[in-house]
Amino acid sequence: MSIPILSILVFLPLAGCLLLLPAWNCRRLARPIALVVALTELTLALWLYASWKGLAVNPFPQGFLLLEDAPWIPAFGIRYTLALDGISLLMIMLTAIVFCVGLAVSWDSIKERTSLFLSMMLVMEAGIMGVFLALDLALFYLFWEMMLIPMFFLIGIWGHGRRLYSTLKFFLFTMSGSLLMLLAIIALHLLYAQQTGVSSFQLQELLKVQLPLETQLWLYAAFFLAFAIKFPLFPLHTWLPDAHTDAPTAGSVILAGLLLKTGSYALIRFGYPLFPQAAQMMTPLFYSLALIGIFYASLVAFAQQDMKRLIAYSSIGHMGYVAIGIAAWQPVALSGAIIQMANHGVTTAALFCMVGMLDERAHTREIAAFGGLWGKLPLWSFFFLLFAVTAMGVPGLNNFVGEFLILAGTIKSSPLVAVLAFCGIVFPLIYMVRLVQEVVFQKERQPLSLNDLNPREIGILAILALLDIWMGIHPAPLLEMLHVPVQLLTGGTP
Amino acid sequence: MKLYLALILLLPLAGGLINALIGRMLPRKVGETIACGVIWGAFSCALLAYTNFTAPVTAEYGSWLSTFDFKAPIALYLDQFSLILTLMITFVCGLIHLYSVGYMGEEASHARYFALLNLFVFAMLVLVLAANLPLLYLGWEGVGFCSYALIGFWYTEEKNATAGRKAFIVTRIGDTAFGIAIIWMFLLFGTQSIAELNFLAPLAPPGVITVLGILLLIGAAGKSAQLPLSVWLPDAMAGPTPVSAQIHAATMVTAGVYLLARMFPLIGSSPTTLAAIAVTGGATAFYAATCACAQRDLKRILAYSTISQIGYMILGVGAGALTAAGFHLLTHAFFKALLFLGAGCVITALHHQQDIFRMGGLRGKLPAVYWPFLAGVLCLAGFPLSGGFFSKDAILGAVFERGGSLYTSLFLLGLLTALLTAFYTFRMLFIVFHGEADNANHQENGERTLPLVMTITLVPLAILGLGGGVLNLPAYLGEGLLARFFGSIPGFGAMHSSHMEELILQGIAAAVSLLGLGLAWQRYMGVQRSGVLAREQAGSKLFIFLQNGWYLDELYRLLFIRPFVRLARFLWKGVDETAIDGALEGLARLMGRLALLPSAWSTGKVATSLFGLAGGVAAILAYCAWALS
Repeated sequence: MSIPILSILVFLPLAGCLLLLPAWNCRRLARPIALVVALTELTLALWLYASWKGLAVNPFPQGFLLLEDAPWIPAFGIRYTLALDGISLLMIMLTAIVFCVGLAVSWDSIKERTSLFLSMMLVMEAGIMGVFLALDLALFYLFWEMMLIPMFFLIGIWGHGRRLYSTLKFFLFTMSGSLLMLLAIIALHLLYAQQTGVSSFQLQELLKVQLPLETQLWLYAAFFLAFAIKFPLFPLHTWLPDAHTDAPTAGSVILAGLLLKTGSYALIRFGYPLFPQAAQMMTPLFYSLALIGIFYASLVAFAQQDMKRLIAYSSIGHMGYVAIGIAAWQPVALSGAIIQMANHGVTTAALFCMVGMLDERAHTREIAAFGGLWGKLPLWSFFFLLFAVTAMGVPGLNNFVGEFLILAGTIKSSPLVAVLAFCGIVFPLIYMVRLVQEVVFQKERQPLSLNDLNPREIGILAILALLDIWMGIHPAPLLEMLHVPVQLLTGGTP
Repeated sequence: MKLYLALILLLPLAGGLINALIGRMLPRKVGETIACGVIWGAFSCALLAYTNFTAPVTAEYGSWLSTFDFKAPIALYLDQFSLILTLMITFVCGLIHLYSVGYMGEEASHARYFALLNLFVFAMLVLVLAANLPLLYLGWEGVGFCSYALIGFWYTEEKNATAGRKAFIVTRIGDTAFGIAIIWMFLLFGTQSIAELNFLAPLAPPGVITVLGILLLIGAAGKSAQLPLSVWLPDAMAGPTPVSAQIHAATMVTAGVYLLARMFPLIGSSPTTLAAIAVTGGATAFYAATCACAQRDLKRILAYSTISQIGYMILGVGAGALTAAGFHLLTHAFFKALLFLGAGCVITALHHQQDIFRMGGLRGKLPAVYWPFLAGVLCLAGFPLSGGFFSKDAILGAVFERGGSLYTSLFLLGLLTALLTAFYTFRMLFIVFHGEADNANHQENGERTLPLVMTITLVPLAILGLGGGVLNLPAYLGEGLLARFFGSIPGFGAMHSSHMEELILQGIAAAVSLLGLGLAWQRYMGVQRSGVLAREQAGSKLFIFLQNGWYLDELYRLLFIRPFVRLARFLWKGVDETAIDGALEGLARLMGRLALLPSAWSTGKVATSLFGLAGGVAAILAYCAWALS
């Protein structure tokens, strides 16, 4: 393919920012421009999805479908390497969808500095696309930081409550992790230069480095810390509830839908392949943190009084399953973990959208303020019940697919962990049923006059609901897409 | 066949979706017609499948969860057992749908009601027809969700919503054990197909089979309301009565029995598992029967009787008598649906009165309900020659056949339970329909006239319940139909006992049932009736203990729920906010302090800066000097 489609995916949102400049003070023009850019990204992603089977599998790097490679800073051996395989493709589609949802859901709610908001969103989209496509570690690090800064402003400017505290907390947590990762990347680069005499940051090259186990452990620890904060794993999770609670709806949607997934994605793409023995040795730690996270976050979620905080904690619990699937490093579990990243992205994005919609109407997110919404907001309640049931892991909807595959695969690596983690699936049901009952059912506790969803909101939620159902009953095409990369990662031949 | 099977599932699904999505916009009659039509359509397809049935078939429609060696396609498996159950489910649920048209005639949210009812039938049929365990699990959880939403159908009452939540959570606890069993079987056998698992079962070590069997038993106990997970079913009566009939009596609660019977070739080889199953069933049957004797809510009596009767079925599975268990499952579905629908008629006629002490003397006023209800009572009480008599006796006979001290004591416990069953069943009948009317209650209101569709649906159920015995007559009257039909399914092999022994056992069972009738008659029909009723309303200690289901709810609240809530609060406030965030904020403050140190140097005074510069240069020079020397 001669069109550099991956570069377009990354740079189109940045070009969109430039397009926003002439319409900077005109909200009515700026919003459509941003949305058209996001929709174009979605079209490109879907086009790639529709045609991926026709793409030849590259011999180098193995298993990748598309590659765009050019020297960038030759002095340090930094290359501009973007590549796409099944895992990236799934993440790209998720990114494109979540950004469309994020823009659509904040269509009316962001009234101040709209153009700045839109450009932040687009820069973030470019950064996240880059993270999911980059195969050069220096380039990856660049994108990794690029997605962080707009989020900092998103929470800090358009957030609510203690937004400065929350955004600083978010920034410090992620920044300290990524600085350690940067050091590890540089160390890896230097070791490679020492061994081969060539300098490179490319993943395929760095994979050839011979590392003594001790060095491997230190470098892996740095990577792991950066990704564990993003996951987030217990006990590094406390930035997440605060960031979510105070973020604007679009911020929460992207945070839960995408930013959390960059950590797990990077662990799969870089952490495990670069440091296989170290990762193997750290597996018990990884398992334990994930298991503690599942039980701990679910219990804490049960005690919450703020709907958004409850869903934020539930995210930690659900991501614990993704962590287990990765830690098992076994084909079925890893496929499950990757598909669960997409599933959780869609479902949690939907739940955050719904809480945002309610917040816009009632100006509160306290569970105790609501009750009996089924009678007053039948459409909102219908969708909320659907997404809540998805989050509970009822089969036929998408969360079940991921979690079940993760557990079915994990039992082959570690039966004990799989059994314990399976016991954890009782908890999402307990706290979600409680949330649904207190908000949707029972009698209303405060007289609130609320309007039901408008067509724009129905559209957003209907698309997410259809995705939930489609991925729940027919995940086969997605699983097929992941087959080759997962097989290669877990040491098989395609 | 493939088409029929697909239609059996797709019709209820389509009906449910139509009612869920556009039901509010459709006229009431259209929604009701669609809801009933799809179920009867599914029943017709099941009949067609029955007439074309020659041998068990597997039909595969597409892939669902398939990646690497994990394969769970959308595949259905029809054998004699699932065929008979499909017929029963579509037929009984079809009648209950019709009845609902009358019962829910004034309900505004009819679309939600019928959507959930249809989706329930879909999920139940998936459960019964699934060819692999993950698909069965889909139906398993699907019925759980529909049951949750329907128990809390009148959601504005907190009590109803809580009952729905309780049912969902308690059954999910069982489901978790079932799920663990599923992935474990994948680990052991590398397959998810039920037929293959049953075929490969002998390869596994006996200890593992025992554990798998126990896990499946826990799953079954959750769904089928067996001890210790039985607590949700009595509260589930908060839902509309046809829901109780369809979900919490005739179909969903028997799913556990179905699962154990389906996986019997796998778990049956472990005597420990079988003993555990039998003990669970026997103990639950007895426990629930004692509770039923003291209830005063008509629907709760029936709820406890359901728990008790399913206990018999589980006991039958534990004794290896699958045909008997399946037989009792069928007759129970008929007569228990009948009893619930009859109770619904009584409750409607009395303007939502459920307290049996506020009833009485209804025989003359509601003859159209009384006679079918009597048929149901005879079956439940195991009155000689009724359907329930033959099926319950088949289970007890099989338990006795197995011999050994454990099974003999379970047999005696089963007989005692049968006595209690006959007693509480007739107690209910005599208090509700006989004696004097409770004047305070009905004279003001008068009875509501019942829609014809509600009373007419009782008739076929009464006929099937009473005559159900014909389905599987005991061996001395010729070979049973079900026994022959089920004979070729693995695990369902016939048990043979001498005709004489069987006759004696049935004589004992008949005597026990009549004894229960006599006791109830003497207590509630004689001169002491009014005194007994007054005493029961006042309640003695034992009576209240039984009425509260042996205080199991309170026990669980103390042991699990309260610690759970406290722990959740502690982890949030104590650990998350205080320990973790506190430590991090401490670290942040420390960093802030440290940052003050260098800032002492950057005060902006030229002298300080120069001092710093000079010091720095001096340090570098010193280093160079040291390095060069």
